[in-house]
Amino acid sequence: MSRPNSSYEPQLVNRAGETLTGDEIETLDFDRAVEELDGLNGSYAVAIQPGQDVRALLPFIDHIARFDIAFPGYRDGRGYSSARILREAGFTGAIRAVGDVLRDQLFYMLRCGFDEFLIKDAAPPEAIRAAAQRYATTYQSAADAAAPVWALRHRIPA
Amino acid sequence: MYQYDAFDHAFVRDRNAEFADQVARRLSGEITEDQFKPLRLMNGLYLQLHAYMLRIAVPYGVLSSKQVRKLAHIARTYDRDFGHFTTRQNLQFNWIKLADAPKILEELAEVEMHALQTSGNCIRNTTTDQFAGAAKDEHEDPRPWAELIRQWSSNHPEFTFLPRKFKIAITGADRDRAAVRVHDIGLHARPEGFDVYVGGGLGRTPSLGHRIKTGLKGENLLSYLEAALRVYNRYGRRDNIYKARIKILVAALGPDEYARQVEAEWATLDKSRIDAPVVEIDRIRSFFPAPAWKTGFDAAAFERAKTADPGFARWLRNNTLAHRQDNHLSVTVSLKPVGAPPGDASSAQMDLLADVADAYAYGELRVSHEQNIILPHVAKDDLYALYSRLDAAGLGTANGGKITDMIACPGLDYCSLANARSIPLAQDISRRFEDAQLTDKIGDLSIKISGCINACGHHHVGHIGILGVDKQGVEFYQILLGGRADENAALGVITGKGLSAEAVPDAIERVVQLYLNLRKDESERFIDALERLGREAFAEALHEPA
Repeated sequence: MSRPNSSYEPQLVNRAGETLTGDEIETLDFDRAVEELDGLNGSYAVAIQPGQDVRALLPFIDHIARFDIAFPGYRDGRGYSSARILREAGFTGAIRAVGDVLRDQLFYMLRCGFDEFLIKDAAPPEAIRAAAQRYATTYQSAADAAAPVWALRHRIPA
Repeated sequence: MYQYDAFDHAFVRDRNAEFADQVARRLSGEITEDQFKPLRLMNGLYLQLHAYMLRIAVPYGVLSSKQVRKLAHIARTYDRDFGHFTTRQNLQFNWIKLADAPKILEELAEVEMHALQTSGNCIRNTTTDQFAGAAKDEHEDPRPWAELIRQWSSNHPEFTFLPRKFKIAITGADRDRAAVRVHDIGLHARPEGFDVYVGGGLGRTPSLGHRIKTGLKGENLLSYLEAALRVYNRYGRRDNIYKARIKILVAALGPDEYARQVEAEWATLDKSRIDAPVVEIDRIRSFFPAPAWKTGFDAAAFERAKTADPGFARWLRNNTLAHRQDNHLSVTVSLKPVGAPPGDASSAQMDLLADVADAYAYGELRVSHEQNIILPHVAKDDLYALYSRLDAAGLGTANGGKITDMIACPGLDYCSLANARSIPLAQDISRRFEDAQLTDKIGDLSIKISGCINACGHHHVGHIGILGVDKQGVEFYQILLGGRADENAALGVITGKGLSAEAVPDAIERVVQLYLNLRKDESERFIDALERLGREAFAEALHEPA
């Protein structure tokens, strides 16, 4: 028997599968970000819990270098919508998935615009690479560059 | 029917490889059962009372003869020689070994089938009118739209961990045979575009869908659905599994406010990236041409067969529907023979259905949400030969739409959620109304039985609904009257006190007898008489006279 992946300490990796070290940037919670970001200088990370509306932060997006979107349980899918909304609004900074992040979610997270993962797994870099290569075909457009099947069928440029 | 191209094949192959890897990791202990559960559910694998159940997707209920033969083969090889057709137009195998599941999925992929998204909190198989492309009252074929939705919803990255399961139904005919108002989203194609209903459903909190949009253009269907799902994904409740369906969100916000939020979300979306272009919709449409219709009709021979064989005449009356081609009919093959579990078919019966579909029905079959098999196009000249072969195989039951054409969930015999048995009760009732003359005299009447409050047997929308409950360890049944799932959809209401399993057939017999006494004439159906006279007029008949 192997040991469950969820028993490993979380490790931080990017979408290329490279291990990232800790960062110095200050993290605000959502309420503080909404109240104070307008008057702050510099660049911050903002922690988003499920149910918090990332659109409330769009006016201050220039002060935000990174969103840490929480998955308190991996069946909670609200974070996927949060990430897509941020990418659709033009946010180009980092979006990090934190919490109950396991390898079977990575494909969906990559497609929804996440690019950093605090993941519990025996081999995080391999998990990321496997997720990125899992599907040759995607039926929908999302936040990544993959063209939907209909565009490929009819050779419609993205 | 739709044919996979290289992209579709690649998708199913990759998805099956992913699941085979997940099964291997589960067997090695790398993922816990708790973590494996949502993954296996998304691939159609349930852990039931006695074994694994594999639910195979039959996209919008459409099957080829080749696919049916493959299902028969799987039943024979991996299960106990039969399969169960469901109210979601799918097929379930109830006795599957976990280790066999990847192999079965490989076999299914050979005939362009899979078990994807037949369970789990994702967008499920889109269901539709079982007479699509055949019915006289249809103005828009719903199958291409259902296929478009199938592709868009397959492995959707944003909507794979929804608050709860999500079911879309679509119809394109005047008569609603797809029950669109009891689905999370119901689509009714009309000449000016789609009517969109949202928040319908059965279960613990039954409700009828609210119309939130009219005239939605097909070219924008996917982006509108994306907006509707996003609002639900973000704001649907996740604290209580019984409050997590979209109907609860729509009730809490009010349909107008929900619709407003969807419009606002829709306005932010880049529709040109989401909506498949017309050329793709046309491509999908091109897979659903009308067959090369057989011509001619020998009316004299047809009449002779009817006169010579009263069984055939009766089957014609009860199990066929008018077709857009005057020399054709659509046929319902009843999977409700007297005394048998509704919706079950043996592998031999499946093989026979495939054979007769090839011989008489252009190779095409459908699964109806009433758990019957439909042969959508049969030339009238072939009907007697078809009937004779079906009847010889025990598939000639002439009870389409009649009192013994019941829907029943698997119930306590199979299901770990059930409080009470459903199938044995359905069998008892069907034996009670075995008499053909009585069945025909009663006319159209739908009985729907659920073994628990989750309502898989659709009891809320049966003209007579039966709900199994557990009362201090004893099975009891509540009776609902007045439900219907058609274009005049209504929810039945619990009437009278709970009954024991033994008392239910008697109670139904008394209600039916009262209807026969009170109806204006033969053309007044049970549901019409019930609506004219009111439920209370029938309440007393449910109970033994004191």
